Amino acid sequence: MRSPDTVPATTATTAAPPPARPARPGGRAARGARAAGRHTVLVLTAVALLFPLLWGLSGSFKPGADVFGANPVPVPATLENYRFALEDFPIARLMLNTFVTAISVTALQLAAGALAAWSFVRFAHRGQRAVLGLVTVALVVPPQALIIPQFLMISHLHLRNTLVGLVVPQLSTCALAVLLLREHIRSIPQTLLGAATLDGATHGETLRLVVLPLLRPALGAVGIIVFITTWNEYLWPVLAAPSPEHTTIQTGLRLFANQEGPDYGPLLAAAMLATLPVVAVYLLASRRITDAFLQSGLR
Amino acid sequence: MTFPTRQAASPTALDDGPRAAADPTDPADEAPPAAAPAPAEPADGVLLDGVLKRYGPQTVLDVPRLHIPRQSFTVLVGPSGCGKSTGLRVVSGLETPDAGTVTINGRDVTAEPPGGRGVSMVFQDFALYPHLTVEQNIAFSLRLAAKHDRRGGPNRAEIERRVADACEMLGLGPLRRRRPGQLSGGERQRVGLARAVVRRPEVLLLDEPLSALDAQLRQHARAELIRLHRELGNTVVLVTHDQLEALSMGTHLVVMRGGKVVQAGTPTDVYHQPAHTFVATFVGSPAMNLHEVDVVTDAQGSGLRAAGLRATVPTAVGSDRVLVGWRPADGELSSLDGDADSAGPAGPGLTVTGTVDVVEFTGDSAVVHGIARESAGGGQDLKWTVVIPARRPAPAVGARVAVHVPPAHLHFFDPADGHRLGDGS
Repeated sequence: MRSPDTVPATTATTAAPPPARPARPGGRAARGARAAGRHTVLVLTAVALLFPLLWGLSGSFKPGADVFGANPVPVPATLENYRFALEDFPIARLMLNTFVTAISVTALQLAAGALAAWSFVRFAHRGQRAVLGLVTVALVVPPQALIIPQFLMISHLHLRNTLVGLVVPQLSTCALAVLLLREHIRSIPQTLLGAATLDGATHGETLRLVVLPLLRPALGAVGIIVFITTWNEYLWPVLAAPSPEHTTIQTGLRLFANQEGPDYGPLLAAAMLATLPVVAVYLLASRRITDAFLQSGLR
Repeated sequence: MTFPTRQAASPTALDDGPRAAADPTDPADEAPPAAAPAPAEPADGVLLDGVLKRYGPQTVLDVPRLHIPRQSFTVLVGPSGCGKSTGLRVVSGLETPDAGTVTINGRDVTAEPPGGRGVSMVFQDFALYPHLTVEQNIAFSLRLAAKHDRRGGPNRAEIERRVADACEMLGLGPLRRRRPGQLSGGERQRVGLARAVVRRPEVLLLDEPLSALDAQLRQHARAELIRLHRELGNTVVLVTHDQLEALSMGTHLVVMRGGKVVQAGTPTDVYHQPAHTFVATFVGSPAMNLHEVDVVTDAQGSGLRAAGLRATVPTAVGSDRVLVGWRPADGELSSLDGDADSAGPAGPGLTVTGTVDVVEFTGDSAVVHGIARESAGGGQDLKWTVVIPARRPAPAVGARVAVHVPPAHLHFFDPADGHRLGDGS
């Protein structure tokens, strides 16, 4: 596990220390009261956000008869749901599919984003604003609006239930990567790029040897956002890869549904397992994620 | 003895020998007649010919002709926004001029890419690659050259040797494995220099390399740069807004304003024979005193008369109104106390009188600000400054004093356009 302290020194160029909080008037008691109020709000928000997750976690340990009970603590507790999810359900296969999909989408979006962003900074002098406007439009177009044409396209190409059909159309949302990476490339001092040019570097070498190494923190941040988004994607896998062998975990959870409705105990257990990689990413890279969201203005 | 009535701002050849690293046989050292319109001879050094650079409607650089002699230490100096940095970037190739050509040692490089011109540059912020060590920073260009040209480029041993040489030259040995973030400002500057010289450039461009250093370090770095220039023996072009830096470091000075070259020449020429009032006031500190006065002809001959000012004028200044200038260091201060009506010492040259307004002590000297009130009304007060050695007792504030300037140290300018008139002697 990489501790937040070991991020490369280059992070310092992007993660400036937070500005000192200006002194506010008021005595010690007033400050204490304000702090208490602030913390109350934060705690309530955190509880509200955590409640569904905790309820699901609790439910996943309850025996079938208790799932609809109001008791928040799973007593008596059972691991039967997890046994069922792991043994009688293709969860490993679904996880692997999801992982391969998420990694592929992330890698392709970063590659496309870095190249497009570099082109914006280096080459597009005329019409830059117009193209940038188009990219921004692509950012605000809801992905659902693209789903039907994309679905028709992969159907015609006979790419349903393939990795390519699942992955490639998800590149249509790489506008975020382009815009974020463009901002980061623009923050690289012009003199640094000038120095590389004078040192005889071609555009490609400047990108590879100077820009990308400096962009590592940004690439990490954008990559995490894309990875988590792709991992949690539901609608597109339902359409593009509905078969249990090819679909992702979020879609696969539907398999617990039968004629009488979902089997909630094992479903919750599988959902908890499906959350684990995302939780792991958060735990390992929480600092990066905070940076990513702060920088992207997506708070 | 005759004087040209007007010595125009002359951005033509700067053909005096470099101070330190001059090659006496260098053809650029033989002074051609300065007045001759320069033919397109293959000049050594850097030649900007008809270079024009615009940003939108604004012309930021307009240089009909500027020759930077080979092996000179040329300083482009001027206030911010005068085009000096743009000029440097045009030479480097980072900016493409809208018109004109750039020639380096006889080779037209206008269309050459920056990396192929044989120039290297030290940037104001040093622009070190933050993710590479000192060693990797310095070797960056050589490694690229080796990659681009596997047969002709430097091999591994040569890269290693040249990096070691550059490190040794700039005292970077112990820092080779550090990253730029772990270095002080002075160390970063030396790495920037090492990275620039390791390529053995024909022309080394320095864009305000001292402005990021603190005052004490700057003094040291100045000497270091002069020494480096002597060791390398190549052409160095430095950009600065600091006129003192320009005077002390350059073998050649190019004073710029508003994208144009106002005067080019040796520091002594520029200092002693400023071609324009802008140069006169920009170069030298404290700035030159300038007084706009009518030329009157009376029984005593031609001269200047104003409240608190009296001066002789050389016949070559054929004008009825002139700007007369004198450097604060050229004035001789004398006390007039007890002789309130005296007009000061007589004799050729210029004499101003007035009362002491402010005295600034600067250590080895003192700057006396004087003022001559316009008693008749209507005119302006005459203000002047004079520098006196600190060993001499400074006059008291309010004391009446006179300053005499010998004729050889007077400068005359056209009040209409600021150009130099005659030669002041």
